[in-house]
Amino acid sequence: MEHPSELSVAEPRAWDRPVVTVPVLVCLSLVGGQLPSFSASANLYTLGTGGALIWLGLGNRVPRRPAPRRLGAGAVWWVLPAAVFGVFEGVTFVLAAGDEFPTFSRLADPLLEDELVRSAAWFAWLAAFWGLVRR
Amino acid sequence: MMRALAIAGFLTALTLLAAVEWAARRPGSRIPSLAEVCAYVMRYEVGPVPVGRIGLFGFWWWLGWHFLAR
Repeated sequence: MEHPSELSVAEPRAWDRPVVTVPVLVCLSLVGGQLPSFSASANLYTLGTGGALIWLGLGNRVPRRPAPRRLGAGAVWWVLPAAVFGVFEGVTFVLAAGDEFPTFSRLADPLLEDELVRSAAWFAWLAAFWGLVRR
Repeated sequence: MMRALAIAGFLTALTLLAAVEWAARRPGSRIPSLAEVCAYVMRYEVGPVPVGRIGLFGFWWWLGWHFLAR
């Protein structure tokens, strides 16, 4: 008996497993963590890795997980953290008081100067990006 | 004083984000996870153009560039 096509699950590709993707993302993150802010290499590397992931995500080259058809009323809870962050980011940005009342990026900058923290941030960014590509 | 207020505000936002995600992952939760919200947003299309997908990718790309290259 033939199954409806929407019920069949595509077989995962050999490279599309955490045992392959995590080490690749770790290597990319370690390289990214070595590149200092405002350098041409950091700009090119960010644009290159992000561009490659967008290229993968906009084509049908990577299998995607099914997306929900609708969100329940519980989704409204996500407005809470977004609103708190938005208010503080907005106020600190508009007041432009520098280190007296810093924006989120101004607070993050000194932390990101450390290579290990920078590599961890690179990994978080790339891993989340890969997650979006798979969605 | 104002600096501490800003730090407390951003920490509150991050804590709320973690708390909502934790609540979403509980069995039988009615709250969708952040990944499900993103997937839903990425479904949005105008004609053949995947506007939601392009928008979210663009936002995430800019965020990485802003923090990691600037």
